[in-house]
Amino acid sequence: MSADLVLQTEIVGKRNEHLYFALRNRKVVIGSSIVLALLLLGVVGPFFLSSTPNEYVGPKSAAPSGDYWFGTTYFGQDVFAQFVHGLRSSYLVGALGGAIAFVIGLSVGFTAGYRGGLVDEFLNMITNVVLVLPALAVLIVISSYLEVRGVVSQAVIIGLFSWPWVAKAVRSQTFTLRNRDYVDLARLTGKRAPQIIVREVMPNMASYLLMAIILLFGGAILFAAMLDFIGLGPTNAVSLGTMMQQSMAWSALHLGLWWWFVPPGLAITAIVGSLYITNVGLDEVFNPKLREM
Amino acid sequence: MGRYFRRKLLIYGVTFVIAVSINFAVPRLMPGDPVARMLSRNKVANPESSEAMRAYFDNVFGFDVPLWQQYLNYWAALFKGDLGVSVYAFPASVSSVIAGALPYTLALLLPAILLSWIVGNSLGAMAARNKWLDNGVLPVGYVFTAVPYMWLAILLAWVAGVILGWFPVAGGYSFALTPTFSWVFIVDLVHHWFLPFLSLFIVALGGWAIGMRNLVIYELESDYANYLQALGAPRRLVRRYAFRNAMLPQITGLAVALGMVVGGALVTEVVFAYPGLGSLLLSAINNQDFFLLQGILLFIVIGVLVFNFLADVVYVLVDPRTRLGLEGGQS
Amino acid sequence: MTKRRTLIALIALPALAASACTGGGGGSENPSELSMNEFPRNETLYITGTGGGPPADWNTITPGEVTGLNGLGYETLFLFDPETTELDPWLAETGEWTGDLTYQLTLRDGITWSDGEQLTADDVKYTAELGQIEAVPYHNIWEWLESVEVVDDLTVEFTFAEARHQEWNNFLWAEQIVPEHVLSQLPEEEILTGANEDPVVSGPYTVHSYDQDRLAWVKRDDWWATDHLDLEVQPTFVVEVITTSNEVALNLVAQGEVDLSNNFLPGIQDLMASNPDLSTYHDEAPYMQQANTAMLIPNTTVEPLDDPEFRKAMASAVDGQKIVDSVYSGIVATANPTGLLPLWDDYIDQSVIDEHGISYGASEAASILSAAGYEDGDGDGFVENTDGEAVELTLNVPTGWTDWEEAARSMAADLQAAGINVTEEFIDAGAVDDARTSGDFEIIMNNWSGISHTPWTHYRYLFQLPVLDDQSTANFSRWENEEAWSLTEELAATASDDPRYQEILSDLQRISLEEMPAIPVWYNGAWSQVNNAVWTNWPSEADDTPNVIPTAWNGYWNMSSIYMLTELEPAG
Repeated sequence: MSADLVLQTEIVGKRNEHLYFALRNRKVVIGSSIVLALLLLGVVGPFFLSSTPNEYVGPKSAAPSGDYWFGTTYFGQDVFAQFVHGLRSSYLVGALGGAIAFVIGLSVGFTAGYRGGLVDEFLNMITNVVLVLPALAVLIVISSYLEVRGVVSQAVIIGLFSWPWVAKAVRSQTFTLRNRDYVDLARLTGKRAPQIIVREVMPNMASYLLMAIILLFGGAILFAAMLDFIGLGPTNAVSLGTMMQQSMAWSALHLGLWWWFVPPGLAITAIVGSLYITNVGLDEVFNPKLREM
Repeated sequence: MGRYFRRKLLIYGVTFVIAVSINFAVPRLMPGDPVARMLSRNKVANPESSEAMRAYFDNVFGFDVPLWQQYLNYWAALFKGDLGVSVYAFPASVSSVIAGALPYTLALLLPAILLSWIVGNSLGAMAARNKWLDNGVLPVGYVFTAVPYMWLAILLAWVAGVILGWFPVAGGYSFALTPTFSWVFIVDLVHHWFLPFLSLFIVALGGWAIGMRNLVIYELESDYANYLQALGAPRRLVRRYAFRNAMLPQITGLAVALGMVVGGALVTEVVFAYPGLGSLLLSAINNQDFFLLQGILLFIVIGVLVFNFLADVVYVLVDPRTRLGLEGGQS
Repeated sequence: MTKRRTLIALIALPALAASACTGGGGGSENPSELSMNEFPRNETLYITGTGGGPPADWNTITPGEVTGLNGLGYETLFLFDPETTELDPWLAETGEWTGDLTYQLTLRDGITWSDGEQLTADDVKYTAELGQIEAVPYHNIWEWLESVEVVDDLTVEFTFAEARHQEWNNFLWAEQIVPEHVLSQLPEEEILTGANEDPVVSGPYTVHSYDQDRLAWVKRDDWWATDHLDLEVQPTFVVEVITTSNEVALNLVAQGEVDLSNNFLPGIQDLMASNPDLSTYHDEAPYMQQANTAMLIPNTTVEPLDDPEFRKAMASAVDGQKIVDSVYSGIVATANPTGLLPLWDDYIDQSVIDEHGISYGASEAASILSAAGYEDGDGDGFVENTDGEAVELTLNVPTGWTDWEEAARSMAADLQAAGINVTEEFIDAGAVDDARTSGDFEIIMNNWSGISHTPWTHYRYLFQLPVLDDQSTANFSRWENEEAWSLTEELAATASDDPRYQEILSDLQRISLEEMPAIPVWYNGAWSQVNNAVWTNWPSEADDTPNVIPTAWNGYWNMSSIYMLTELEPAG
């Protein structure tokens, strides 16, 4: 009981301190700045640019210039306009796909890990089935039955298929935590399971869960890019992945149109990479030990 | 212990049945018609003939019986080890097509996954207790993890293959060779293997390192570590415990990664025109080759199940505490 | 502990991987029999982009035989020459109609199969009679062919119930003659679906080896054409490389690792400017020869696409030149309004086009629309149906077919500008197949009318009746015109030198322009880009080079492309 109390007060007391350190952590500041800056570009940009980024507007295969900041494609489409629309799609896929996967993964993982027994076996089975289900093939079937493949449907499908590893990892962490003394103590005091999970187990996995969110967000963006690349992207919209796919299909590198191929990949790297860097910084914030080092 | 594994096996058995059933259903729900695709590929233009050929091949592939019967036939054939005949590579059997592609995929992925896992975890564990390493090396790892895989692979192929000309950009071995057990051939094989391997290794490396680093840090600040330290246990000992505990999720991760070997190489094989199950999978999808698709998916399913089971076994060996939970000793 | 393990693994794994590779990388050959560097570069022709899958099938009856089997391995009685649209004797020395319903064919003397047996009249009879089995692709000849008689070792006589000249010619140049002495020993099951590994062939090459991503042919010593026609195939080896992406194919051909790429490689004209080794058939637009006609297929069971006037308005609204220029950068050409390929130029009746042809222009489209009663009543910029209902149409193309996607965008924009509300939508390729077969679509694209010896195939593609629930090869528009179909059937039975032949063709052109069952937009090229570093004297428009189509696609060797191999010259 006493360990429990100490832990709780510590957590509450740390909150303001966390913010203080977060704002002074270079990794957090730089990482989140990049993520937010690109997000802003993706959200605001399309309002200032053409709403039809696939239109043939300029000269063909033009290098970056004052008129076309990122040059034009093989057909004379404005790469910057596509890029900005693509950013928006990527964030949408990342946020939506990541959120869906996180919620499912967390619920399944905690329940399975804490309950154990038959519940665990059942959930574990579902997790295994989803895990071994060939997501790619299922995605093709689902998407071909959708009239038009959109960014949102892609995000939902990605979310529905990328939670198992979170569930598994959370489950195994919960397994080890549930036998810890303070959890036993909490149980002895008659707390109900959800309460124990939220108050005892979760805070002890905070850094891990944060990592999971960030990995899921980044993972969803990367998975979407892969689907786009093999031709399963949104059918009538622009995303960073379809930009790469199009530029490859039209041999952009061979024709010297690097400005068509490089920016989308670089942007994804920047977004996902900055998220990870932020994660490292946040870790230092949450983990005083690291700050001391 | 025996009871625990018996139950595990049962669960995996049920998972297998469900997965195989879905595996049966998925390709059949796909739009398109494999026989029509096959006939049109060969430009069978006479409508009279194509009707007759349709009927004939529907029969050859067993599409002319009701769906439930196809399902039963599918299971029956499966137990005989018969995966059917490929539509795309007709009349080769699915097993032989897969057998031809499997070695490439395994040779590419097993080293890439295992090496990146080992190196990544070591780096991560080291970074967790070394400020310099944490600040210097890991950011690079983060960037590699964040790179869209095909983008990196294409740039790698473009720079090292096309511009510098150091490595070939297509094929499992030189198109001027036929397989022999000679140094020339083996060197050539490795030469072709290197770039795809490297791209997979680089991208996987960062993920393991990040995961391991975060886990070790979490373990190092956990109660038992603090307690041990307070008791005056040597730092090395504490780290060893932390490391062992942090390994648990990573083992799960490795099992998943190993199980997914087939799907994982799809993009690599496309970018580097490398033969293997991934490019076969894509062709099977594009050509609506149900049987080949099912065969490959079956491999993925079995792979994941086997490795998950292995992970369970290792789990018990590494962390005796979990045994209690697994057996439902407390609830 | 960790460090040590890492090191060991670092050393051990690549070695392990290498041995694993070798163990399974093997193709069909016994490694001990093979020497190193099997295919010397200057004796080997590397090809890619022929569209084949992993080599597995050497059976002429089953669909999906390896590319090259027809032409390099097995051969046809005649070759079809797209330059002259004539049939040239190949395995046959002569062939002629000896009566209204009889055709006599004489084989060349001294043709041997690769097992040493003679190729005789029995092989021809056997091949034709295989068609009596229903599941054989050319089964349809037996609807009008009555019997095949062996007159002597080299002479065969065919007796017909109906003399379908054009369809018969198709058999003569498209069907491969197979060895009777081999196949007649096999059960029917095996003939129909067997892999026929190690085929006994008559052609210039035989199978050397294969693997998942390659197929190698090796030259035969005793090819009949060396004696008879003084022809010799130049490359000792022909290796077909199976690539999954055009990007890789472009790499290979640009670096000279592959000599001939039959992939669609956009931007090739720009690359040629910087890489002097690369060339195409023409030095300038359209660079390629034309292989088939890309057409908009309106579903004529859907309103208002059932109205020929509406379809004509669509035809005049679509700017083919824009697609040629911006999507293809000039490597394709706009289609003739009749949709007939350039090789049939002689059959095109210009007076019919002058009278019924439709020219491009948004205003033209608008006047056709208003003349036919389609007006924009509600002022939304799009016309409504004659009954006032809004017109909303969808143009479906397979997702991932990049050039078609771009072309569809361009066409939808044109149609919208002309007041016809068409939106492009990209769906799974399989779903497009389903839609095309079942008729569950509004507008799609299709290009299955390609090079052949007669425009009859084009009109069969357009007009074939009856319209069934499933249309799998022709008349995807589902347009029913009895007159056009009976003319097409008459065309099949008319000899090319009969004056009636051109009359029918003019009539068919008139009908196709008046009713516009499909809208020809552009001609797809016979994609072909070659690298001159190892082999030269590739087919081109120049006078001193062969004029055949430089492609190794299935069914092109017997369109005279085999001459490409006999005319190649080693570089420097």
